[in-house]
Amino acid sequence: MKKFLAVVKREYLQRVRSKLFIIATILGPLVMSLFGVVPALIFSIKAGEPVRLAVVDQTGRIYSRFYKMIQTEGELKEGAQQTVASVNANALSANRGEGKSQPQIRQEASFQLEEIKSDGRPIEEIRAQLDERIRQKKLDGYLVLPADLLSEGTAEFFGRNTGDVFTREHLEDELSAAVREARLEEANIDARKVRDLSRPVDLQSFKIGAGAAEHDSGEGFILVFGAGFVIYLTVLMYGQVVLGAVIEEKETRIAEILFSSIKPFSLMMGKLIGVSLLALTQLACWGVAFLILAQYGMGMLAGKGLEVTIPRVPPIMFLYFALFFLLGYFIYATIYALIGSMVTTAQEGGQLAVPIILLLVVGLYLAFPVIQSPDSSFAFWVSMFPFFSPITMLVRIVTQTPSFLQILLSLIIGFGTVLLLTWLAARIYRVGMLMYGKRATIPEVWRWVRQP
Amino acid sequence: MNRPYPTVLLERVSKSFGEFIAVDSLSLTASAGRVYGLLGPNGAGKTTTIRMIVNITAPDSGRIELFGQKLTPKLQDRLGYLPEERGLYRKMKVAEQLRFFARLKNVAGDELERKIDSWLSRLKISEWKEKKAMELSKGMQQKVQFISAILHEPDLLILDEPFSGLDPVNLELLKEVVLDLKAAGKTIIFSTHQMEVAEKICDDICLINRSRKVLEGSLREIKKGFGRNSVALRIEGSDGRLKESLLVSNLREHSDEIEALLAPGASAQDLLKDLVSAGAVITKFELIEPSLKDIFIEKVSEAE
Repeated sequence: MKKFLAVVKREYLQRVRSKLFIIATILGPLVMSLFGVVPALIFSIKAGEPVRLAVVDQTGRIYSRFYKMIQTEGELKEGAQQTVASVNANALSANRGEGKSQPQIRQEASFQLEEIKSDGRPIEEIRAQLDERIRQKKLDGYLVLPADLLSEGTAEFFGRNTGDVFTREHLEDELSAAVREARLEEANIDARKVRDLSRPVDLQSFKIGAGAAEHDSGEGFILVFGAGFVIYLTVLMYGQVVLGAVIEEKETRIAEILFSSIKPFSLMMGKLIGVSLLALTQLACWGVAFLILAQYGMGMLAGKGLEVTIPRVPPIMFLYFALFFLLGYFIYATIYALIGSMVTTAQEGGQLAVPIILLLVVGLYLAFPVIQSPDSSFAFWVSMFPFFSPITMLVRIVTQTPSFLQILLSLIIGFGTVLLLTWLAARIYRVGMLMYGKRATIPEVWRWVRQP
Repeated sequence: MNRPYPTVLLERVSKSFGEFIAVDSLSLTASAGRVYGLLGPNGAGKTTTIRMIVNITAPDSGRIELFGQKLTPKLQDRLGYLPEERGLYRKMKVAEQLRFFARLKNVAGDELERKIDSWLSRLKISEWKEKKAMELSKGMQQKVQFISAILHEPDLLILDEPFSGLDPVNLELLKEVVLDLKAAGKTIIFSTHQMEVAEKICDDICLINRSRKVLEGSLREIKKGFGRNSVALRIEGSDGRLKESLLVSNLREHSDEIEALLAPGASAQDLLKDLVSAGAVITKFELIEPSLKDIFIEKVSEAE
């Protein structure tokens, strides 16, 4: 027991004092929020010049409307007095200037429009001319609006880059709107009135829990998904730490010295538990930071005129979170330890770990259907499956807490699996750690498991 | 020191890995106050034998006893092991590593701190105490590993190729420590494939080849049994005579002398007479003991 504690202590102290851990603890939340923001930012990047677009309007009535649509759209979103024709967006700087609303993600491209009058020329001739301009890169694309567009015709888009679905979709939307207005006018209906009458309904949601109905304006989802995501990330991260620790002892052959002093099982468990304490330390730091922010930070921000809502979290959630984190950690870290003892280098370990990471990712994605219908039988089964339950059951608890019996069952199945995996890993570990030179094959590993 | 039981006793111990027989019905005894050499070429089964002695690997059959008792995890605290393949935690400080390894042998406290300091100073690496292992040279790391194997004052010390890669000064330093431990009544099992090193340090030896024991006993007795059948010569002129001589079965030329292995039945006296009569000028003529290497080669070829 003393020896086991020595291993736990070494694993914990060596790592908790490392710069990497301290940095990860401080920067972790920052990095995680970046995961949310960065993809959106990347989508908002509009590289290059505005799209130069020619319009051949054979109806003679759509171009002006279309032009206006593109223009008003731009003005609405930009909130600035700029000539639409050459608006090139820098969504970030435009929004930073406003500072009050959330950054709007600007996905529409900006256009430089030009109308081509047919002047009685046949369409083929005009097209040939425009094609030539595109080839000379003086134009990016053109639209052909046939005369019967209002009744049944199909508009056509020709361009160098038809793979740009964003631009295409945007053109389609604006064109539809322009044509709709023209049609309405033809039918003698006031377009403005229609727009007024068809404005969307604002739907607010309330969560019915044990107490009174609570207003839920979307933070609920963030909390649910955030919890799942934190579990996913920490399990992944600390699984890798265990993998690295096992491989280090095998690569440096320390394991052989250690095995002459301590039982392989104690060594492996000491390692798993030491690293789990490290992970819990980190999560506790984050939890405390979250609580402080929720308690005091909100008031401070509100005082500065910044209204940010952080969802209220019942204390029992922290307990469930810790339990399901530990479940996920021990399931995956045990597999990582097993892998570490089979391979000879960190590189090989990384390769073998890929299927494990995939399993974790699937668990994370399963959170989406579970959030949508947390009481379905699908949600029930995936929250009982031990490789997914750490994420899916937690998601269910946060959305619509299932009966305590279900939670208990999920935990029992999960920790039962942990015991089984630990037994398996220990048998592989004690032999694998002393096998140098080459990666173990599956039949070999199977033989180790059956060895007394 | 006379105890009623040997420190290490192996009786017909076998171990195979799948089809491969690593150790085949090996018996040996190592006693207190002596250095026991476990010798043999690479892959002979030395490391597997050692792993069974230190209770890392279980034998398939046979009996192993340490200090007259059956192997238990508790007994592991009384032995120190320096494996051939060895390492340190790269990012851990020297003192911390030593403390950790000692704790795994149930040793801790102030006494331990004092011992760490004294060993570091004896092996001349005191100033590296608070440095991380990755900053140490290979030789220095080897010394730290050596300390970790003896820090808890084991009664049985098992050293697998402890001197490989050391410079002569450090080799001498560690050799002195080993001999001191022997004098203090500890049992030392010394495994190597370098016969020259073993020859200088071992009291008893066990030769293993292809998973089987070839020879066991006290080094002195073994050498005596092989007789003095080699001659070290320094000779001027008439080299050709020596090469053609029927009295010599094998010649080995060193930089300043020639080692001649006498043919079976031939005596050194006959060879000397023969050379003198051929007009050779002899400046050195010495009967020498067979080297462990020669014994080993002879024994192995006998067996095949």
